[in-house]
Amino acid sequence: MSYNVKLEAFEGPLDLLLHLINRLEIDIYDIPMAELTNQYIEHLHAMRVLELDELSEYLVLAATLIEIKSKMLLPVHEGDVFDDEGQEFDMEEDPREELIARILEYKKYKEAAVQLKESADERAVHFTKPPTEVEAYGGVTPIDSGDELNVFDLIGAFQRMLQRRRLKAPMSASITNNEISVGDKMDEIMSQVERKGGTCDFEELFEEGDMSGLIITFLSILELMKRSDIIVEQHGNFNRLQIRMQLEEQAHE
Amino acid sequence: MNERDILAATIESLLFVAGEEGLTLKQLAALTVSTEGEVTQALEQLLVGYEERTTSGITLRQYGGVFQLVTKAEYAEDIKRLFENPPSKMMTQAALEVLAIIAYKQPVTRIEVDDVRGVKSERAIQTLASKGFIMEKGRLEASGRPILYATTSYFLDRFGLNSIEDLPPLLQETEDDEDTDLFLTKFQDILEAQEEGGNSV
Repeated sequence: MSYNVKLEAFEGPLDLLLHLINRLEIDIYDIPMAELTNQYIEHLHAMRVLELDELSEYLVLAATLIEIKSKMLLPVHEGDVFDDEGQEFDMEEDPREELIARILEYKKYKEAAVQLKESADERAVHFTKPPTEVEAYGGVTPIDSGDELNVFDLIGAFQRMLQRRRLKAPMSASITNNEISVGDKMDEIMSQVERKGGTCDFEELFEEGDMSGLIITFLSILELMKRSDIIVEQHGNFNRLQIRMQLEEQAHE
Repeated sequence: MNERDILAATIESLLFVAGEEGLTLKQLAALTVSTEGEVTQALEQLLVGYEERTTSGITLRQYGGVFQLVTKAEYAEDIKRLFENPPSKMMTQAALEVLAIIAYKQPVTRIEVDDVRGVKSERAIQTLASKGFIMEKGRLEASGRPILYATTSYFLDRFGLNSIEDLPPLLQETEDDEDTDLFLTKFQDILEAQEEGGNSV
């Protein structure tokens, strides 16, 4: 567990720069480099407690700021504006240009993030429900062959299962210290699947256990998949993932 | 009961069963053996019905390209009383920024995300992927073949969007800056008037 110290919660050097620009009421197209650089470095001093790898990113920008500042101090030599091929350098180019572009680009997405947050909040007031379990009504959906499942489908199923559990959470809970290893859990899953005749619902494996237990179960499923002891498949669009024993299958074929 | 009513009722029952998975216009048309135009009409009929009927706690929404029945916003607080814990906590600012960049620039590599933010975004990308908001979408044909990331339909659903095209347009730099400039000029005018040739920047 790493411990993060964030000063006014800046999301990086560009965020800090944007904050300073707003606070100092600077025109972003005509940045007073000396003032901004000083302020920026002052903030860095205050942020020394930060993680080193994060601080390095702040230092890179500090170096850029100082470089721009020094470039702006240099006089433009009219005679030196030709390179080897005799082409004229664009000496009119403002050394701040690239920095401004970066700040504006970052600002654009920072604002987009705020909008996203708002639309997520608006969405969060509408509740919906998991699909009805058609199996309970004797429904069978045909196998949807061709669509390969990937690890994201598995993660998605895990997330949905966690959400469902949250709704089913008991009003009170007792705390016990119960440690299971992935190895034990793998054996348990295999015998559970076997008991069910070689196939079982993904979610059936998650009926018991606390958060760490659920994660162990999930890891065990991944490990079993890796070892090709089981395969995970989905029959049709809205159906749950099915866990199937691989050996059983091969024996039939 | 006329045929249009029957179609609307059929669609309502299908959407109820489908729940959060929802159904697309195409699926609804195939399931009800109707044209997409007829289904659209029936969906509109349902929506108007839900919105007008004060005794209805549910309504119709289209998120991530699928239609689903959802509870009306005004009952959110009542529904939350059903949960023992308040539903999942807010996303971090870092994760939101990364998600915004990926949403607008997808498919995009981690390096490109890092460049925009000026900080490493690896951790945020991992979190977003594990929550199902983003996924790997192939690799960029460049040195190192970096992974490309894109948003998922789960992202669209959770953020109340029907498709990626529904993302609000990024604020135009020019528009935005005109506003700031106007404000700043005005502000500076006032300042200068007060201080009479005051401080130089």
